[in-house]
Amino acid sequence: MNDSSAPTLELSGVERTYAAGEPDEVRALRGIDLTIAPGEFVSLEGPSGCGKTTLLNLIGLLDTPSAGTLRWDGRAVGDRTDRERSRLRLEGVGFIFQRFYLLPSLTARENVELPMRALGVSRDERQRRARALLDEVGLAGRERAYPHHLSGGEEQRVAVARALANRPGLLLADEPTGELDRANTEAILALLEQVRRERSATLLLVTHNPAVARHASRHLGLEDGSLVSDRRDA
Amino acid sequence: MRRRSGSRRLRHARWQAVLAVVALATAVALPVVLISVGGGVSAHELAALQNAGYQIVVSAPGLHGVAEAHNLTEQLLALPSVAAVSPVLSIAIDAFPPGKGAVPVLAEGVIPGEFGPTLGPAESGLFPLPLPLGDPSDRTHFDNGTYDGPATDDVLVSSPLAQAEGVGVGSLLPLAPTANASAAIAYRVTGTFGVPPTVLGPVGAFAILLPLSNLQVMTGFAHGAGVPVPDAADTIEVAVVPAATSQPSVLERVRAEIQSIVPFYGVSDLSQEAQQLQSASAVLTGFYLALSSVGLTVGLVFLTLVLVRRVERERRSIGIRRAIGQPGRSIATEIVGEGAALAAGGAILGIAVGYVVVEALAAWATSTVQEAAQLAEFVPLTLIELCAGVVALSLLAGAWASRAALRLDLAEALR
Repeated sequence: MNDSSAPTLELSGVERTYAAGEPDEVRALRGIDLTIAPGEFVSLEGPSGCGKTTLLNLIGLLDTPSAGTLRWDGRAVGDRTDRERSRLRLEGVGFIFQRFYLLPSLTARENVELPMRALGVSRDERQRRARALLDEVGLAGRERAYPHHLSGGEEQRVAVARALANRPGLLLADEPTGELDRANTEAILALLEQVRRERSATLLLVTHNPAVARHASRHLGLEDGSLVSDRRDA
Repeated sequence: MRRRSGSRRLRHARWQAVLAVVALATAVALPVVLISVGGGVSAHELAALQNAGYQIVVSAPGLHGVAEAHNLTEQLLALPSVAAVSPVLSIAIDAFPPGKGAVPVLAEGVIPGEFGPTLGPAESGLFPLPLPLGDPSDRTHFDNGTYDGPATDDVLVSSPLAQAEGVGVGSLLPLAPTANASAAIAYRVTGTFGVPPTVLGPVGAFAILLPLSNLQVMTGFAHGAGVPVPDAADTIEVAVVPAATSQPSVLERVRAEIQSIVPFYGVSDLSQEAQQLQSASAVLTGFYLALSSVGLTVGLVFLTLVLVRRVERERRSIGIRRAIGQPGRSIATEIVGEGAALAAGGAILGIAVGYVVVEALAAWATSTVQEAAQLAEFVPLTLIELCAGVVALSLLAGAWASRAALRLDLAEALR
């Protein structure tokens, strides 16, 4: 398994409209133009319902734009088949969700192994790597615990380990600390920052919490589906 | 709270899977019972036909409907390629073993010298041949239809009857057409014969064999003053010479010649009957499958619902797995595989249940059902085909459910 290099992401005129043409039409994103360079730590901020998660899903290839173009390393992802997009997600993207989204029937280690299984990594190798990743996120010895035996902070650490399993170049975190207390929030953010730095990965973090956003070096502001600010720290 | 609701969901899912397996098992058990019993009975009948020592049967509508049995036998014996002709009259009468009351027995009247050559390999070993009954041609007592000749009054008894009633060679055994001992005539037991280890049971195995003319006189099926019933038999079995048994054209020629002699009787070639039986058996198997397809359809619809329900229940899990990049095809394969596993489980359980039901019927059912169940045959190939068919149909259920999984809106599933 090779490390996936962080992609250059380019969005031009990206829009996402739900129930287009119907009375309950929702324009979740409007004309987003954006470029994210490899290795950046970007926060995406804005009030609830402004389109942050929608934008994250589009960048993570979970959804497709209604209009506009999204390019990964110069290649439009709209040209790719569903299978290619799955492969790209599997090898290149690590997702971290606000509600952790661990599979309840699997142990911590099996959850971390999941992306590697999908990639066809041998059993021994994925067990070895899963143990190493759980060790790295501070969960050594908890590998056999099921999600309902873990605290919120521990669950999110497992989710981070799972996101890192296939060594992706792009980490997408949707309110990763939204359900954590302050101590766990700091710990998870420190962990994310550490793995981003060590792996030269791009980290795009969705939050509406300014304290969390402060950890990023670039800050995107979204309102009513439009990008209203793009600020870099000095 | 989360743990409790999770485990409740898990238990619920397990129950659904168990119910799907049980539904399919029930649906599979029915054809297993029907096909195994039906097939067994057909196979038994077919074997009886194929192992008979005769090849052509003359029969008439109605009970004891073949008339002029002795003369017809003579006529048929004169035909080319005919080796033996045996009329058979079967009537339930009563025997009066010494010191006992009436015992119902099945009496068969035959022409002693003709009976032996028409026995098949399985039956011939059961009888002392030639039959130790006087008057091998049965013409002496018959005396050209007058029945005025001297009767031998010999009788052969089946071994179970001899054993149960304490009669043996040399014993006198009074016989009468009814349970009236005063009307009985004493017959001398001149031999015993075995009965095949069939499922008839001890009463059915109480049989006797005596000259045709004697039975006709005893039961009123002979010519007599004011009795129009003429020299009756139930069937006439015709054996051709050995060289002709494997030549359909010769068999057909003999059959046609007999038919021309008795145009109003049924004359059938056993090989044709065997073919008809096989065809009828195939039709019945198809009918059983069609009948069972109703249950099978219900089982598969239930399986589909269970799988679709699973997809709905695991919507988020599927969304997560697809979000991390697991190909939709791999998830679809899992769902189809689960459906196939449940179907295979149901089919195997159904076969086991069907087997147990048949065994239970064979052990405890009433006589006719018990007899049929004891003949049941479990043909491995048929069971494998049934199993494979159910699994193959389950793929459709799996495909239907996996379609729902593949159409899942990922962003929506993760919301």
